[in-house]
Amino acid sequence: MSIMTWALKHLQASFWQASRCQSILLGPASGDTQLVPPYFLTEAVVRAILSFLGFTLLLTCGVEAQQATRTEPVTGIRDNGTGFHALVGARVVTAPGQVLDGATIVIRNGLIQGVSRNMQPPAGARVWDLAGLTIYPGFIDAHADLGMDAVPEGGDVGPTHWNPQVRAWFSTTMNLQDDADRRAALRSQGFGTALVVPKQGIFRGTASVVNLGDTGVRDRVLRPDLAQAMGFQRSFQLGGAYPNSAMGTIALMKQTFMDADWYMRAWGAYEASGRAFLPPETSEALAALEDAVQGDQPIVFETGSEEEYLRAHKLAAEYGVDAWYRGSGQEYRILDVLRGRNDPLIIPLIFPDAPNVNDPESALNASLADLRDWYLAPTSPAQLAGAGVRFAITSDGLSSLNEFLPNLRIAVARGLSTADALAALTTTPALWLGLENTHGTIQEGKVANLVVSEGDLFTEEATVRDVWVHGQAYGVTRSPQIDPRGTWRIASDDEWGFEAALRLEGPLNRLRGSVDIAGPDGATINLASAEVVAETGRIEVRFDGEDLGYEGVALLAGSVRGEEFYGWTSLPNGANPSFRGSRTEAYEGAARGTVAMNVPEIDLPFIRPMMEFGRSSIPEQPAAVVVRNATVWSQGPLGQMENADLLVQEGKVVAVGPDLDAPRGAMEIDATDKHVTPGLIDPHIHAGVTDINESGFAIVPEVRMGDVVTHNNIWMYRQLAGGLTTAHIKHGSANPIGGENVFVKLRWGSLPEDLKLEGAPRTVKFALGENPKRRQGRYPDTRMGTQEIIRDHFLAARDYEREWQRWEANGEGIPPRRDLRMESILDILNQELLISSHGYRADEFLALVRLAEEFGFRVQTLQHGIEAYKIAPELAASGVAAVVWSDWGGFKMEAYDASVYNARILIEAGVVTSLHSDNNEISSRMNWEAGKLLRTGLTHEQALSTVTNQAAKAVAIDSRVGSLEADKDADFVIWSGNPLSQFTRAEQTWVDGRRYFSLGEDAAMREQIERERTQLIQAILSISGNGDMRDLRGSN
Amino acid sequence: MGYLSRTGGVTAVTFAVAMATVATSLLSPTVAQAQVRMTVPPQSEAVALRGATIHTVTNGVIENGTILFENGVIRAIGTDVEIPTGTRVVDVSGKHIYPGLIDAYSTVGISEIGSVDVSSDVNELGDFNPNVRAEVAVNAESRHIGTTRSAGVLVTLTTPGGGLISGMSSAMSLEGWDWEEMSLESAAALNVNWPNPNSRGGRGGRGRGFGPGPQESPPTYAEQVQQLKDFFAEARAYRDATTAGEEVRTDSRYTAMIPALNGEIPVVVSADGAAQINDAITWAQQEGVRLVIRGGGDAIHVADRLVANDIPVILTSTMAAPGRDYEGYDGAYTMPARLHEAGVRFAISGGSGALYTNRLPWEAGVAVAFGLPEEEALKAVTINAAEFMGISDRVGSLEPGKQATLLITTGTPLDMTSDIEQSYIQGREIDMNDIQKHFFDKYMEKVRQNRRVVS
Repeated sequence: MSIMTWALKHLQASFWQASRCQSILLGPASGDTQLVPPYFLTEAVVRAILSFLGFTLLLTCGVEAQQATRTEPVTGIRDNGTGFHALVGARVVTAPGQVLDGATIVIRNGLIQGVSRNMQPPAGARVWDLAGLTIYPGFIDAHADLGMDAVPEGGDVGPTHWNPQVRAWFSTTMNLQDDADRRAALRSQGFGTALVVPKQGIFRGTASVVNLGDTGVRDRVLRPDLAQAMGFQRSFQLGGAYPNSAMGTIALMKQTFMDADWYMRAWGAYEASGRAFLPPETSEALAALEDAVQGDQPIVFETGSEEEYLRAHKLAAEYGVDAWYRGSGQEYRILDVLRGRNDPLIIPLIFPDAPNVNDPESALNASLADLRDWYLAPTSPAQLAGAGVRFAITSDGLSSLNEFLPNLRIAVARGLSTADALAALTTTPALWLGLENTHGTIQEGKVANLVVSEGDLFTEEATVRDVWVHGQAYGVTRSPQIDPRGTWRIASDDEWGFEAALRLEGPLNRLRGSVDIAGPDGATINLASAEVVAETGRIEVRFDGEDLGYEGVALLAGSVRGEEFYGWTSLPNGANPSFRGSRTEAYEGAARGTVAMNVPEIDLPFIRPMMEFGRSSIPEQPAAVVVRNATVWSQGPLGQMENADLLVQEGKVVAVGPDLDAPRGAMEIDATDKHVTPGLIDPHIHAGVTDINESGFAIVPEVRMGDVVTHNNIWMYRQLAGGLTTAHIKHGSANPIGGENVFVKLRWGSLPEDLKLEGAPRTVKFALGENPKRRQGRYPDTRMGTQEIIRDHFLAARDYEREWQRWEANGEGIPPRRDLRMESILDILNQELLISSHGYRADEFLALVRLAEEFGFRVQTLQHGIEAYKIAPELAASGVAAVVWSDWGGFKMEAYDASVYNARILIEAGVVTSLHSDNNEISSRMNWEAGKLLRTGLTHEQALSTVTNQAAKAVAIDSRVGSLEADKDADFVIWSGNPLSQFTRAEQTWVDGRRYFSLGEDAAMREQIERERTQLIQAILSISGNGDMRDLRGSN
Repeated sequence: MGYLSRTGGVTAVTFAVAMATVATSLLSPTVAQAQVRMTVPPQSEAVALRGATIHTVTNGVIENGTILFENGVIRAIGTDVEIPTGTRVVDVSGKHIYPGLIDAYSTVGISEIGSVDVSSDVNELGDFNPNVRAEVAVNAESRHIGTTRSAGVLVTLTTPGGGLISGMSSAMSLEGWDWEEMSLESAAALNVNWPNPNSRGGRGGRGRGFGPGPQESPPTYAEQVQQLKDFFAEARAYRDATTAGEEVRTDSRYTAMIPALNGEIPVVVSADGAAQINDAITWAQQEGVRLVIRGGGDAIHVADRLVANDIPVILTSTMAAPGRDYEGYDGAYTMPARLHEAGVRFAISGGSGALYTNRLPWEAGVAVAFGLPEEEALKAVTINAAEFMGISDRVGSLEPGKQATLLITTGTPLDMTSDIEQSYIQGREIDMNDIQKHFFDKYMEKVRQNRRVVS
């Protein structure tokens, strides 16, 4: 049975009554072009006709309909309420932006029979007087966590999936539990319906739409297993070693999508063959993904940051799946990306706490990124709405569900219209969840899901009174049945009595007031507390007895009936005088606090990344730029030229030489006494990615650093400021064969995908020596084993290749499975994925070089290479480039033979030699790293080559970057003097003919940062010190 | 051409026997090297270096000057120095002479390989170790001594770490057969690690949340400060009791504290954050000790107070990342220049790592690139370090009466575009070889052999 037919069947059961009506009136529906189940089409048509025919017909139909048939026998006495209600007198918000004042809603057997103004409640209906209250359509949470997917003791059993993080087989419908507390908590925030999403693992299983009433599990399911759920965070309780990184997680996602596709074909081939072979493996998880990988079932991705959203979106596009997204609350950072996208986006109301600025030293530590996030995150919903991006709002992601309505009011106070807010909680999720014909508005024929509140839920400190789910009312807060507010004159004839005015004011659930003692010794005593006991009509207050001449607390309780008061007190002296009183003045204050924006308006222009030194846009690219009169280090055949010019056009170098002619309008830069070099290159950094190591397995070439590039990386700016323009971001060194690396240009201010160096070669990290062998309990444990596991995988890849060739030739048997790991290793063997191997000692390097030669290919680079100098002639002969440090070493055993002369010896031996940093900070001063080589006897040009042209050549990007030659990228640096001198600094750094750094712009940005930080810190301090953005204005 | 000079040929500095062996080894690669670095005997004949630009640090720059030293001590400096008979005169025309650089915070000799725990003798167990002295753990054969000397750093304040009171820094002169011969000052300074009110350089605690955040530990901070106060109070009581002739049981920890309590040696307090520095100053004033702040990441925010109380700072990270994202990329680079403008006295240190004490010159040089006058940068790694650590009567500048611990260079030792050609420590013309040069010699020979095979 497909998901669709299963879902449809359940739906039809849920709306049995409506279906009965339709079939009576219309019979089977005719076809339509929309891809929605026929059930909804007919239902929609019915409703249209019903409303045309009018109320009478509907009533008739409703009367005829009865409650749903249940399979469970009744034990004991049946409970048959009429299910017939009339809610009268309320302000009814029937749909976003549509209000009926003083309207009546008629509910019968779970459905809304009618809603209109000036309607008399039908005879026989239970009448609910809701005058003064407001009714909204019941909220729908499109990504709710009901906590029902706990991992069983001992883990999952059965043929599920080899990886415990893949739980696609888990069904929230099959596992629906009696989770009354969670449902009550969701109802208390106005929710009547939810897409229940499992939370465990990476492939988490199916999400189902349920109602949040307290009926049994068989009555709650609306749309079973509507969507698959996935997330980027693995669950530790599920166990498993792999993946343990962001890129490993994405690699597992890709492989699993492909495996699910293979699984169908493998079983298909098996069945088609008449079961002529042994069957393929059984995996409930892969089976469960069948519809999703074909795009027939949505996958809802939970994202924890705006970058995870970008990653999920890219993955979904690549694998053709129908993706929904639970956002992160950071959507305001990527409005430009989201604008125009229509995939369901469900955003949480996660608003960060204010940074601690309570003392000057703490304020010093508050980053602009955190301050801005605190200020701007609550504007994210409003900004999305302003950008025309459709979204639903979920309660998911909050540390407590009780934060939901308060945060919703903050979002509204910060600019989200109440109509948009309501739509995000009703009509929008209803549409996406396929409930648009039954839920989301207060309308005839729809399911009676309602929120009844005292006050405006979106703009006031309103209280949810009741939530109606399927025509059943669930009390959230008790209604105070008396309103004691106003001024009372109370007096007692008893010995210890006194005469006073009792004033009560404020919202009913948070009364305040005072006791004004009459007479010559009169005093005003503020009440310590005051509350109404709803059901009994009592008012209870307490106050300090001192002004009455008693040491202690005085208690006063009374029964209020209309304008009369009967009560007694308990005085600190033990006396209990009784009182009578009457209301002398009615209350005329605001009923409840209005939530208003409580932060000063601060103009915070959009910047990317949303942190210190973020840019409002990427720098413009002048049509032509000419740098005049500099000492130009071309690092190409022209060598170093004094008093020379550099001409670049449209992002490319045109020429270097004396007195160049520049095109009209070219931007002229006088660089007299300055030095100009190519942009520096660092072939080994780890900054700018979310994670570094996937250490779950020893062999992981399927993971890609390119999948987890992050642009929220302050180091990129600092590196630009040090003249770096290109970097090779490496996987870590936990594995003999690690992940695929990525090249980036330092286009600070761009999104991750735009940072990547276009057309760059593919490279893969290998690691030898101490790091890969130090993982406990994981092969290998020695350098010998390291070589052997690499060799064995090379052999395995050749076997894999043959298997495919065989199958492609004869098509016999079960089709082979596409294995991303093996495909990567094949690319290595074919020299399409270049080896960039971490290692320290000469022995391990030599062994790898020989191993590659055994398989007929060449290692591209050895990196770190503390002892590369010991095998310099061998490297030269094998054409292996060396990427080494200047003077780093001694930090571990295998680094003990470090020598600053390493590069010098390698260069003398004819090895292509580059420096690298392997460190965020060092990569921001690679010129000085090169400068350190001067004392080993290298020439200045040789020294600089290790961070420019030779660095580019080492990692095979020298066709694009590394020297100032015609047609190369216009990546260059203007230095205050000789770039190799410790006394020199970079003044401008250009990438692609765009100036990404200059001292002047840097200074201006610092001023702006300081201004914004000061404003934001003041804003926090202005909000009574705690940074709470809610301001309860009007609450007296 | 060897590493001694890249400007061409063999330099003039080739007279010492040991030196000649090294230099010629490049030319005659078959010469086997018995050891990487030979210790030379104490100065036995007077030496005059003639014709150099002499950077005295404390008395200006002398062009075409002569420096005369005997028995390890400088006798005269000037343009018109009388040379006694029997003096070995070395012509160093065109060269520069600087005092040997001093790293005020180092672990040279007590730490060898970073991740090999057994090769480290830096951190003793426990919170209060004032009685431990670094000198006794200094391994005279450490590879790092050679590379440190090659960079021009000839004196280190080798310093233990860990706990609240780490122990005593020892001033070590980097030439000698063993630690005893190398030690300039056994207990030069007492080291205190100021507790962290929150995670250092972090983003501070949470302003509003559910229960105390994981980084917030104000009670712990207060308790630790109180522990320090108690320890000092007990030590003072111990001192007073023993001074008064009371019969008390001996306590080696309190005994070790006495010079610091008496203000005879400085108390170096490691503190980076503004709150830490402020609290450390308050504490030191209560205790009446001679305070030196080490670390000083936020020193600029406390500059007025540091100046008003004449409290010097040993900066541990000038070539470093800024402490906070909003600070400029050069926040650490410009720190010395900003402190100088504010009038704070400071030294620049290598940040303690034995492995990289050879980078001390760059730590100072970066400050020049970012606004500090060059002569101030030089002071920060010579006389200032010596003064703060109480050894300026012997090292830190070129003055008659001070030790002849100096560098002969082609330019400022703070810039990699110049070379250090020869150094003297206490008048001994030291072996300039080190393990890195040794590997250079050895493996260039492999390259040469291979070339011969190929051709």
